[in-house]
Amino acid sequence: MTRLRLVGAMAAILTVLLLQATLVAPVLAPLAVSLPAVLVAAIALTDGPSTGMSFGFAAGLVADLGTSHPAGVLALCWLGVGLVCGAAADRHRLRHDALTAGVVCGVAGSAATLLLALVNAGPVWTDALRDLVPVTVADTVLALGLLVIVRRMLRSEALRAPRPVLTDLVIGGRHG
Amino acid sequence: MRKLTRRQRLSAIALSVLAACFITLDLGGGSLREAHTGVRGTLGGLYRGTDALLGPARRWLEGVPSAGTNQARIEQLRREVARLNGELAKQAADRHTEAQLAGLQRASDGSDHTLLPARVIALGPGQGFDWTVTLDVGSRGGVQAGQTVTDGAGLVGRVLQADSDSSVVLLAADPGSGVGVRDVRSGEIGVASGAGPSGFLFVPLSPTARIEVGDRLVSGPSGASSYIAGLSVGTVTAVRTSADGTVRASVRPATSPTAVDLVAVILDPGATVAGRAPLRPGR
Repeated sequence: MTRLRLVGAMAAILTVLLLQATLVAPVLAPLAVSLPAVLVAAIALTDGPSTGMSFGFAAGLVADLGTSHPAGVLALCWLGVGLVCGAAADRHRLRHDALTAGVVCGVAGSAATLLLALVNAGPVWTDALRDLVPVTVADTVLALGLLVIVRRMLRSEALRAPRPVLTDLVIGGRHG
Repeated sequence: MRKLTRRQRLSAIALSVLAACFITLDLGGGSLREAHTGVRGTLGGLYRGTDALLGPARRWLEGVPSAGTNQARIEQLRREVARLNGELAKQAADRHTEAQLAGLQRASDGSDHTLLPARVIALGPGQGFDWTVTLDVGSRGGVQAGQTVTDGAGLVGRVLQADSDSSVVLLAADPGSGVGVRDVRSGEIGVASGAGPSGFLFVPLSPTARIEVGDRLVSGPSGASSYIAGLSVGTVTAVRTSADGTVRASVRPATSPTAVDLVAVILDPGATVAGRAPLRPGR
């Protein structure tokens, strides 16, 4: 990982957490739409599961520590988002990837709610089921916009991965 | 779905275990309390800064879904404001009426007359005269034709006709009517003819009478006028002497003929009154 990618990742985590707390969450309340989760998905869909997992874990841990619930819950969920999205990336069809991001983020959000209900840290498990569909739709819409930005940035000279990720090679081989 | 490399699988497992450790540690005790406090403090400061920047946009966005609701709320508040303004106006009118009634009571006390308060309910020509008003009291309240009407400060007119619950009053300022008056300063008597909104035109009986600007005129003398004597009619504002020696004076009325509202009919002594309570001297 280059120094520039590290700085970019930290800036992205901070920015997205601030936007989530001050804009997205208040505006879309009571829907638990998560901009950080969608960003993790977008990065994983663009850069592969390794980057997605690392970014998801780091962002989740910072988000966990910034709240009162046990640290590690969001880190685990967003790690899963990075992993699944990185593995399921299409990379050529924007709408397909946005839908993947929306579904995975919706499920991850419900999983986080269930996990928090399990450790008795606030929400009840029925919230997870009630919000699943609307949150998935909202996450998909968010992902449509965010994917375009993330793809453009991660394919720039400064933030491009030092080595092509394995999935790129596979895709390259498949598409000839 | 692509297959993960061995390294990616190991990384995923390691990070998952790490996350589980964090959860266990945080649930088990206060091991991460300091970390929570530090991150919360840092993010809290940043949240405030960001909110200052994005707050207006956020509030605008939050208001979009409830725009219709807000419109309904605005309409409701407008109706409420209109209702409260109406109540305020009513209270102001009540205070005005209270002051007028107090004035009438003082007039009753000062003149030993019994006054029946009445509200002007209609204006307009009637009975062949131009300047009449209709009051909301009539013969059931003791009102009879010919009785004098005052507003407590001065002469208003006299009752032309009394029905059971209303009466028509000819204003003293009617251009076709005249009032027998006395100049308070000189004692000269004469006739004040109605001049509409201008008030009266006073012509003393004596051609040699000395009338001065500022002289106050009252109705009277008693028995020689159709009005109760002693009521203020107006104040002389200009005096002109014609070539034949006739003196004429313009008189500003004590009561504006175009702004009468709450007035009182001066009842005859011993009149039977039903309904509205009259104002009696010394009460």
